[in-house]
Amino acid sequence: MTEKILARASGRDFVRPGDDIEARPDFVISYDFPGYTDVFFREAREEFGVDKVDRPERFVLFIDHMVPAAAPKEEELHRITRDWGAKQGVPVHERKGIGHQVSAELGYAVPGAFVVHFDGHVSQLGAFGTYAFGARKGVLEAYVSPTLAMTVPPTVKIVVTGTLQPGVMARDVFHHLVRVMGPSSCAFKAVELAGPVIEAMSIEGRQTICGQAMFLGANTMLIAPDQRTLDYVRGRAKLDLVPVHPDADAVYERVVTVDVSDLQPIVVVPPSPANTRDLTEHLGVEVHTGYLGSCASGRLEDLRAAAAVLRGRQVKPGFQLHVVPTSQAIMAQAAREGLIETLVEAGAFVSSPTCDYCYGRIATMADGQRAVSTGTLNTPGRMGSVDSEIYICNAAVVAASAIEGRIADPRPYLASAEVA
Amino acid sequence: MGLPNLRGRVAWVFDEDDYDIDLIIGVRNIKITDVKELAALAMSDREPGFAATVQRGDLLVGGRNFGYGHPHYPAMRAMRHLGIAGVVAESFSPGFFRGEISMGFPLVTCPGILAAVQRGDTIEVDWAAGCVRHLGRGSSLPILPLAAAERQTLEAGGLIPYLKQRLGRREGAPS
Repeated sequence: MTEKILARASGRDFVRPGDDIEARPDFVISYDFPGYTDVFFREAREEFGVDKVDRPERFVLFIDHMVPAAAPKEEELHRITRDWGAKQGVPVHERKGIGHQVSAELGYAVPGAFVVHFDGHVSQLGAFGTYAFGARKGVLEAYVSPTLAMTVPPTVKIVVTGTLQPGVMARDVFHHLVRVMGPSSCAFKAVELAGPVIEAMSIEGRQTICGQAMFLGANTMLIAPDQRTLDYVRGRAKLDLVPVHPDADAVYERVVTVDVSDLQPIVVVPPSPANTRDLTEHLGVEVHTGYLGSCASGRLEDLRAAAAVLRGRQVKPGFQLHVVPTSQAIMAQAAREGLIETLVEAGAFVSSPTCDYCYGRIATMADGQRAVSTGTLNTPGRMGSVDSEIYICNAAVVAASAIEGRIADPRPYLASAEVA
Repeated sequence: MGLPNLRGRVAWVFDEDDYDIDLIIGVRNIKITDVKELAALAMSDREPGFAATVQRGDLLVGGRNFGYGHPHYPAMRAMRHLGIAGVVAESFSPGFFRGEISMGFPLVTCPGILAAVQRGDTIEVDWAAGCVRHLGRGSSLPILPLAAAERQTLEAGGLIPYLKQRLGRREGAPS
């Protein structure tokens, strides 16, 4: 799949792993952040004399960090972004949600497309069969040239088999892959994700898994489009491409089969996303705050799971539960389903979509505090003081832990919710 | 044109796997842009006074998957300001690797390096010979080759001069 997408993008009949190519991105996606977009805009103009980007309809900008602004210089950064977009004819989507999610909603996740960003979490567009690559500073090349030089990566195929047990979510599946394969097992590779568990999985769950590809070391991760994908992109896709599927005789560097039938909910303990453990090993650890949101989690199935746990119950007094739907569209649907009402009545603090909880800009923890979180990363200091800790887990675990004030198993709550 | 050899003392050995380089200056400090301030903070959580121990040309040594997490640029900006000339590691996390090569900062993948060196040893990276030499012991270890674009980026001094060369060549090329 990777090779077919990159062959089309580089105007060749075929490419092979290791080939050096110049590929034209179908879309160039960024969010504004100091030291990134403002610098790209300036360097493109001052270092390369590029006043207008090539084919601006390929570009899109999101304002999702520092939303709402809390300092004049943050709002100034957003103004620079809006002005640049207006001058270039590049759309700027603001306050619509986290860009990696809104990109999919707006139709930039086209099966078979080649997309670049500076942020690696854009790999979640791979849920739709898009090759989406986070080039870091290297995305500057897309701002000053129609193409981007790159090396075609080898592909590792991961086949996920078995049946997921109740209470086990896509988030658990991803961190289990890190546990069994290793945090650098797919370094510099593309990952193709397949198998019956993925085929049965919702689009949202696929986005959750593909978006975390970097924590396997992967350049990106993608899933062959199926009927569910095509139903999602119909009427949204911004490009008319023939969806790309792997050949029956496709060559992979490695094929790894992971059976998840015995998988239990996990928790990723500090200080690194490499540390996947069984939830049951860490039950009872005192926690003070919970975050349900981010580009990885915070979608409808996450909100539904949390609401199922919290319905008719209360967040423990003093515990801070922050619920941040990933996009406005998700938030509106959650409202229609009554999920927001359930969460608010249980004592959750529900905010409009923003990236800002994930990196401690708001809801900042003090020394000695500990969080359960569906955010992307658990590095010490990521959500506040360097002496605070983050335990990553699925949305239902965050909700159950909010009730008990300690890391808790959501399965008894979910079971009683089903009975009721 | 070839890359000049790197020859220097090992200023620090990060022997942990999956090391998150944001911890070098502390995640709380990643929004600081003043490089002198960053340099003074480098490793201060681990060893106050580290900055004064570094000599120009010194190297860092890392474990497997060095740079895992969301690597931001201030940590290595701080290290470069102190005089660190590059990192030799068992392996690198791809995001970190791409980002620092773009900055023109040499990263050398050398399986076995952790067991071969200690802090204070003097080593030499010989790109042409494809090895890291331990100058005290006379031993050497092979390094993984850079991709062509990575090598050219380092030779040019970073992404911007590299892109200017490449794009300039294309414009100047006969059609």
